[in-house]
Amino acid sequence: MSAVKYGSIILVSFVIIAGIAIPLVPSPQNWLEFPVIPGLEEKARNIFFHVPTAWTTVLAFLVSMVYGFRYLRTRNPDYDQKSVISAGLGLMFCILATVTGALWAKFNWGSYWNWDPRQTSIFILLLIYGAYFSLRSAIELEEKKAALSAVYAIVAGLTVPFFIFIMPRMMTGLHPGAQGDSSGGGPLFQSGMMAGNMRVLFYVSLLGFNLLYVWLFTLRLRIARIEDRQLLSRHTEQ
Amino acid sequence: MLTLAQIMAVFLKDVRSELRTRYALNALLMFVVTTVAIILFALRGDQPGSTVLAGMFWVSVFFTAMSGLSRSFVSEEERGTTMTLQLIASSTTVYFGKLLFNAVLTLVLVAGVTVVYLIVFPAFEITGMGVFLLTVFLGSLGLASAATIIAAIIAKAGSRGTLYPVLSFPILIVPLMTVMGATVKSLEGVPFSDATVDFVVLISYFMVMTAGSVLLFDYVWKD
Amino acid sequence: MLEFMMENQMYIVLSIVLLVWAGIAVYLVRLDRKVSRLEETMKKES
Repeated sequence: MSAVKYGSIILVSFVIIAGIAIPLVPSPQNWLEFPVIPGLEEKARNIFFHVPTAWTTVLAFLVSMVYGFRYLRTRNPDYDQKSVISAGLGLMFCILATVTGALWAKFNWGSYWNWDPRQTSIFILLLIYGAYFSLRSAIELEEKKAALSAVYAIVAGLTVPFFIFIMPRMMTGLHPGAQGDSSGGGPLFQSGMMAGNMRVLFYVSLLGFNLLYVWLFTLRLRIARIEDRQLLSRHTEQ
Repeated sequence: MLTLAQIMAVFLKDVRSELRTRYALNALLMFVVTTVAIILFALRGDQPGSTVLAGMFWVSVFFTAMSGLSRSFVSEEERGTTMTLQLIASSTTVYFGKLLFNAVLTLVLVAGVTVVYLIVFPAFEITGMGVFLLTVFLGSLGLASAATIIAAIIAKAGSRGTLYPVLSFPILIVPLMTVMGATVKSLEGVPFSDATVDFVVLISYFMVMTAGSVLLFDYVWKD
Repeated sequence: MLEFMMENQMYIVLSIVLLVWAGIAVYLVRLDRKVSRLEETMKKES
């Protein structure tokens, strides 16, 4: 567990330093130089921070879905608790991804929002998280809350492959990998970023953010369990 | 226990109770007329282009659907007939019966919206009739399948007013975007082959939604 | 050092971001230790 904690701190710090300090050079010769990508230049550094948050929010949602599904099978409230915690973290990362994306869009494409398919999909995810928590707050009974929100998470999760993979490729858009874009990339293979060292740093960043997510998840789970135990002991005292 | 006759029985029961009160049909028709009237006031004689018309068309459909499609489950809760239905029919039968009802309702709704738009907006010319019909048909199915499972969820959640559109919209953005694009293509008279990708998306969306709903419906329906 | 920062402005950005991140990381580590202490106390009581 401490590997996760200190690993995430070390990795993210490393990515921050390397991502920002490594200079951009027209023809990079060694590992400590990044290529200049026309149209992006310095803004390319955003890749190390914006894309991993988007990845992490999708991961968090999938985790939430899986725990929801396990709750439905076993009716064990522990799974529901984990589902909510992951959804909460997912919401946070989703907001980060949307905001960082909009900021980057303003400087790269001219406006904060253009309804590019991939921008739309992070917006959809944001709405799904919002709807998930609205649903939960509308139900009083614990078991019903858990069951219905788990079903909603799964139903919403069924649309995820559509808006993450299919739509952005089939429709014209501004993100790399859209219809008519020759660089043929996508969220997984940022081929706009051919440079080996950039790609390595990107995956390191992905790992760092995911480890951070895991750490935050365990922290929230432990705090929730302590609160539950306190509630229980206060009940039994009376 | 899952037979077509049983599904038809659930479907016909809903149809009969709707025909008795005609609540849903009236409300939906009035809703369509109201939204189109408001749009007309806002436009003040301006004629919108095909992209805007296609968008408005499906906005009208979406909101009208949101006001009407939850009836199939909420009315059961309101009338207290949920438990009877649970005892009499299997979950899957109930689901398919309600799905069929919502699909038919959506098709009727969309037909109504089409008629109104044809009358009110001269720019709404359906050049590619085949594309339009298929788009409208597949779009209605997709909408109905997502709307049905969400209706089941909110009926059990106390169905407080705004919850239905809030839950449905994120899930429906995918088919809505697809269907709006396809409608634009049908208004502009684009060849059929250009729209096939939209149809594939709509069909797969419908299949995925229905399959998922069938598997999950039990957890919603039986509490 | 100040002239170095004025020359390569990117390092100003870097220092700020690192500072923010250091703040967050320290907060998380302290929170983690507090939770561990609470867990120990709860274990002792039971």
